Amino acid sequence: MSSNTSVTRVLVSSVGEAQRVPVHLMPCEIEHNGPAQVSQYLTATTKDCKLEKTVSFRGRGLKGQELSCPNGYTGLVLKEINKSGSDQEDRTVKVSSVFDKLTYWNLETPPNSDDTVVMAMDWPELAEAIHGPVED
Amino acid sequence: MATKKKRTPNVQNDSWVVMAADSVIDTQKHDSDPAFVRLRNPATDAASLYMLSSGDVQLFEVKAFEEDFHSWFVGQTVQRDGRLLFVTPMDPLYLIIPYLIKSGKECKFQPMDQVLMDEEFPACSRLLSCTGSLASLHHIAEEKEVEKLKFHRYSQEKTMNWLKKKVERTVIVLKARNISVGEGVKSTTYIRVKSESDYHEEDYLRHAHGMISEYLSEELSKALLKHLQLPELTSPKVTEPPSKKRKLSELPVEAGEDYTKFNSSDFARKPPKKMTAAQKSLAKVDKSGMKSMSSFFSPKVKAEKN
Amino acid sequence: MDLSPFETDNSVSCRLASQIPDVCRTEDCCLGIDEAGRGPVLGPMVYGICFCPVSKKQELKESKVADSKTLTEAERENLFQKLDEAKSYIGWALHIISPNTISTSMLQRSKYNLNALSHDSAIDLVQFALDSGVQLKEVFVDTVGPADKYEEKLSKRFPGIEVTVRPKADSLFPIVSAASICAKVARDHVVKGWNFAEDLGEVDSAYGSGYPSDPKTKAWLLKCLDPVFGYPQFVRFSWSTAQTLMDSKGVTVHWDDDDEDGEKAAQRHNNRSMLAYFSASAGGNDQNPTRQTHRFFTERRLKSLDTL
Repeated sequence: MSSNTSVTRVLVSSVGEAQRVPVHLMPCEIEHNGPAQVSQYLTATTKDCKLEKTVSFRGRGLKGQELSCPNGYTGLVLKEINKSGSDQEDRTVKVSSVFDKLTYWNLETPPNSDDTVVMAMDWPELAEAIHGPVED
Repeated sequence: MATKKKRTPNVQNDSWVVMAADSVIDTQKHDSDPAFVRLRNPATDAASLYMLSSGDVQLFEVKAFEEDFHSWFVGQTVQRDGRLLFVTPMDPLYLIIPYLIKSGKECKFQPMDQVLMDEEFPACSRLLSCTGSLASLHHIAEEKEVEKLKFHRYSQEKTMNWLKKKVERTVIVLKARNISVGEGVKSTTYIRVKSESDYHEEDYLRHAHGMISEYLSEELSKALLKHLQLPELTSPKVTEPPSKKRKLSELPVEAGEDYTKFNSSDFARKPPKKMTAAQKSLAKVDKSGMKSMSSFFSPKVKAEKN
Repeated sequence: MDLSPFETDNSVSCRLASQIPDVCRTEDCCLGIDEAGRGPVLGPMVYGICFCPVSKKQELKESKVADSKTLTEAERENLFQKLDEAKSYIGWALHIISPNTISTSMLQRSKYNLNALSHDSAIDLVQFALDSGVQLKEVFVDTVGPADKYEEKLSKRFPGIEVTVRPKADSLFPIVSAASICAKVARDHVVKGWNFAEDLGEVDSAYGSGYPSDPKTKAWLLKCLDPVFGYPQFVRFSWSTAQTLMDSKGVTVHWDDDDEDGEKAAQRHNNRSMLAYFSASAGGNDQNPTRQTHRFFTERRLKSLDTL
């Protein structure tokens, strides 16, 4: 979408077929897009303690917790279909998965309310304050 | 241990993790699909990404939560791009204001469809069809109706009053969500020591003003500050680098400010809406002192994180 | 040997112990410490102590416990049986350090190396014996690292106990051999019956000795490599054998603290974050560098986009 005139259409009807999936925000960059045995390795070895979840990935200790989507919000995973080569052309994405909570992981640090992703969840409510209609 | 590989650029994404307002996917409301579009950002004048829902009934803003070294597991797949995109409803008036101001320079009442024209961003004309756009133009413009045709002219006064209400709404939510609004680094313990004071109120106003200024030109942001009767501090360039970790409580960074603000018993009982010239200059001197202090300290904070 | 406390969760370390013989609470005792499974890329490292009254040293010698490394697996099992039968005067305790603990400790931000891990484990076991009322007078330790420093460390930690740290102590002191047998038997059992926490169905059990030099182990590591996750927790990720294989056959993973040494990384981290703060991120392209994103957004790492 380099051109200001091109748009990226979201096929909203695809949300009906989208699967509800678990999503994990990992504290590392994994140089890969594609299939991964997440349930076999990550989910199967995750431990639920009182205040945090623990797991290890590539030999490193992770601590995490679940975060719900803010009220009135739904998590979507958008996927481009019929990817076109040109920057000028309109693009189309579909909703490939949906989620209502996510698990984020810190490297070794216990999750807490100062974690940036927790703080980022403040945004929708503040956006509503800034952008909601003003009474006359 | 084996040597680490260099990071390669993430060239072409084809999937995105999005936190979207439910209205984005409300299929009942739409007769066609929403789309990401590029429009002129009112603060920077450059292109930013927005979303217009079908029939252009609703405008959304797109912001990315982005931290280095992050990726997603989505179901049984890995997505290298670790960003989380927020798609939140947006008031189209913020985007319309710069166009109105521009056309207002000719001091004429004009039909909106002539105002909202931008060769670089053709989609801007669609802002008018957003629900409430036409109906709420009176917040920022004077209206005239001639033979059922509507004409508009930008009104700074109306806009300021409208923005003030926006600031007030924002202050309420900042308070309700207990968001730290102090200038620069302020620890939660520090705030707790303080009683709820009107000095605090000013902090909230400034914070809300700063957030809303993300949608305003620099001139408009300054005008709004004046309208809110908040003295200008220093140039925005010297603004405090924010600190994620609020662990500076032990550092004497805030002490000076604290002192000034509570020195006068007058302040505690009946906080003035306006500062005296002396207080203003005192506040200025003090704030700038605090800034250099904390900018001196903040790199250390980051270093400790490692 | 009942290993079920470890086997119910083999991702964390675990201490197992025999009954404490009554006689060890009343008579002066000697104690031996040895480890098993320091070198392998697979499975746990096991630290073992064995103790008995000083007066029973001769009986122990006659039971012909010898360095476990010179024994066959069957001989070791046999000798462990004997030790177990002598439970009226011989006690033992084990600290099983899970491979997951080894990986995450050694790869931690503030590195915790294998020597420190071993020393702490040994100290923990001696303290356990003391806490259980064993009248310790002599401690014999087998060591891999420099013996004198370790001896000094232990002597300081346990004043009043005569500490002897020697390389190859397991062939010099029967009580160390006994400890070595306990540790090795435990490790063998755990490795043989490794209960994979991952949901991998049937995992090929032909992983050999677990030593990186063993061709069977090598072949197994090649075969079991998952491009994204690398290995099950059975493998020590901190071993260069595993790292090299993941680097060459797996997906590259970057952490915010990898590449440079600590100081350099901190520096880079600073620079990056400072830049992030100061750049006018709205719109992505800095057309108006004097406009700065409000700290509400920078603190939350939120920024405008100009393209999807």
